[in-house]
Formats: sequence, C-alpha cells, structure tokens
Amino acid sequence: MSKSLINIAILEPSQIITEGLSNILLKTGTYSKIFKIDSLNEFNTKLFGSQIDIAIINPNQIQNKLKEFSLLKKSLPNTLWTGLVYTFFDQTLLAQFDKIINITDSPESIGELIHKIKNADYHSVTGNEIEQLSEREIEVLKLLIKGLSNKEIGDKLNISIHTVISHRKNISQKTGIKSQAGLTIYAISNKIVQIEDYLT
Amino acid sequence: MYRTEKYYIKAEMKISDLIFDNPSLLLLLENLELDFTTGERTIEQVCHEKKISTAVFISIANLFNGFYPTGEEQFSSADIPTIIKYLKNAHNYYENEKYPEIRNCIEELYKKNSSPEIQLVGKFFDEYFKEVKEHLAYEDKVAFPYFYKLYNSASTPQENEKYSSNEYHDHHSDIESKLTDLKELLLKHITVKDDRIIRRKIIISLSDLEHDLNIHSTIEETILIPIVSQLEKKIV
Repeated sequence: MSKSLINIAILEPSQIITEGLSNILLKTGTYSKIFKIDSLNEFNTKLFGSQIDIAIINPNQIQNKLKEFSLLKKSLPNTLWTGLVYTFFDQTLLAQFDKIINITDSPESIGELIHKIKNADYHSVTGNEIEQLSEREIEVLKLLIKGLSNKEIGDKLNISIHTVISHRKNISQKTGIKSQAGLTIYAISNKIVQIEDYLT
Repeated sequence: MYRTEKYYIKAEMKISDLIFDNPSLLLLLENLELDFTTGERTIEQVCHEKKISTAVFISIANLFNGFYPTGEEQFSSADIPTIIKYLKNAHNYYENEKYPEIRNCIEELYKKNSSPEIQLVGKFFDEYFKEVKEHLAYEDKVAFPYFYKLYNSASTPQENEKYSSNEYHDHHSDIESKLTDLKELLLKHITVKDDRIIRRKIIISLSDLEHDLNIHSTIEETILIPIVSQLEKKIV
C-alpha cells in the first residue's frame, strides 16, 4: 500500500488556487497526502519522515532564490519539481522546473502527470508483470526465513551482501511483506517451503 | 471506520453533528474523557468547560476526518496535558480492547480454517502484540514522564531519562509495517477455507487499527514532538 501513496507539496500563495488544485489532485483518485507550505525552506524542515514525490511551486517563490532552489533540488533528487504558471515568467526561470502545469490545463492533464509518476514508480518496482519471485529470490527467501543474516546468505549463495539486500528489497516489494515472520507465512502458503521444514 | 469525504472541523461546530457525520470520533471523545452526550454544545464550549485544548481537539478530530495538520496550527506547551491524556487513553484502548479483539478473531479464524498458516498468523500476531506493548510501555514510562517534567519545567531531565525522537519514529514505522504484512497475507496469500466472514472482520479490524495508529503517530510526530523540542530549546 505504501508504494502507491504519493506525497505532494504545494507552495502557492493564493489560497483559492491551492484549494482548487488540491481538489483536482484528490479527484484523480490517487492515494495522496497533500501538504501546503509557505516557503522553500519548509521543504527541509516540516515534512519529516515522508518523501515528497511532487512539489508544485509558483515560480514567483523561487524568483530571487535560484541558488537556494538548486541546492534544494540536489538535496531532494527524487522529487518532481513542477512549476505552476498563471502569469508570464522568463523562460530561464521556468527552465528550473522538471515540469510545468499551466493554469489553463485541464484537470485530466494534471491527473496524467500523477499517473505518470505512479507508473514510473511501478516500473522500477515491479514492472507490470505478475509478481512472481525469481529462482534466485526464492533461494534467498528460503535462507532468510531460516533466520540467516544477510552475510550468511551471501556466503552460502556466493553473492555480495549488496546483492542479498537488493534481492530482499525485491522480495518485499513483490510480496508486499517486510517482516521475516510474515515472509515465513508467505512461503508456506505458497508452498515454497513445507511447514515441517520451518519447524525443524 | 474510515472517512474519505472532506468535512473540515471547526471550533464553532456542534459535537453531536460531528459524531453523526463520523461516529469513529466517539473514540476521540472517549480518549479525551468527554461525555458522549454533549447536547447542543459546540467544540469550543465543551473544551472550555472541560479545560481541554480546543486546538488539539480540532487537530485530532480533523485527522479522524482525513486532514493532516498543515503546520499553520499554533500549539503551545499548555497543550501538552491534553495530548498526553489522549495518547495514554488510546494506549489503553489498544492494549485492552483493540488488540485482544483481533486476537479473539484470529482464534475464531483458526477454528474455521485450521491450517498451519493460520496457526503461524496467531504466533505472528502474539509476537507483534508483545512488541507493541513494549513500545506503549516505553511511552508511558519514559517518554510521557519526560514530557511532563519539561512541561512543569521543574528541572531539566537527566540524561538517562531522555527519550529519543528517532527511536520513536522507528518503532512507529515497524508497528505499522507489520500490520500491513498481516493484511497482505490474509488478502493475497492464505487460501480462504470457509472463513470468509471472520476473515472480513479481521481485515476490517486491522484496517481500523491501522488508521487509528496512523492518527496516533501523526499526533506524536507532528504535534507533540515539535512542542517538546521547543521547550527543550528554551530550557537549555
């Protein structure tokens, strides 16, 4: 579930526009959290704990803060920086953004923006294939539920710790289950291991 | 019960109207030790009467309705007792009501579907519940007394009495992710055998709990801890 939650931050002084935009975003049917913020530096402080997937910003807010803005972009590389444009702005200013929304855009096109993000996310996670574990992942899973550490698993399968970690990540993303105990139950119900194996 | 509709709560609204609109707010009243029968009185009036912070009431009530704090709310150290009262009573609700309720349901589930997986689900849940209890005890015994001490500004707490907000956050995400594991297992992986009704009850109960825990950790992380950090700065 958490993989489909999208965090959106809006930095726009007009309340009417912020509210309208929030409404449109909510109606796209995406599971999202919307944060309203008042200045650029709040990106670093306020939204602790959650990564911001999309930042929607009135270009006025970065006009005299280009340096600050580019530092911010560097510190949050996974955020899609979007400009919300309803008056004339210099092209060089707009070029700072990854993406532009125009005030005259249809709600559908804003929806598309979100869905694109979501899909990009999914591709890197699971693709659109069936969420089947690969043979290697199954091997890792079997050792994992025996209680072996990452290092022990790596030694047994002759792979590096990093590879083990990345297999584990994929296993959790494909199954939706993170804990070892949960994965054990998963493995038993999918007949990857026998309950007897687990108990002995 | 979830709410997805918008209904932004304000101080001048009547409490009874809010409850009609979203009955899960009864839990908020319960945790703040307020009467269910508030007649025609508004939030403002009831909070004033019971010496409860209106700002805190409104923020939590809005969380129940799906609105996260925007950061514009003004909280002060005077709000600490209300927040802790809420959190403590919520702990009691988890420990003595919600978790046992789910535990019983899992037993019922096992009666319908006596598979080894379900047996393990029971074990998983017990271990998980144990962890949750440890976290709640940590809050009750370490974190809350520490906050109170700061609030009374009697003294700066000793180094060994300190709580760590990072530890807090880790506990929370762990508690929430194991609940998700359980739902995933029951919804996607463990075959249904004549257990639909009880399984439905469990999944809805787990979702309720998840929603409530989410509110709980949001209160702690976005309302309580910022107030506490400010107090800490003042004292130093």
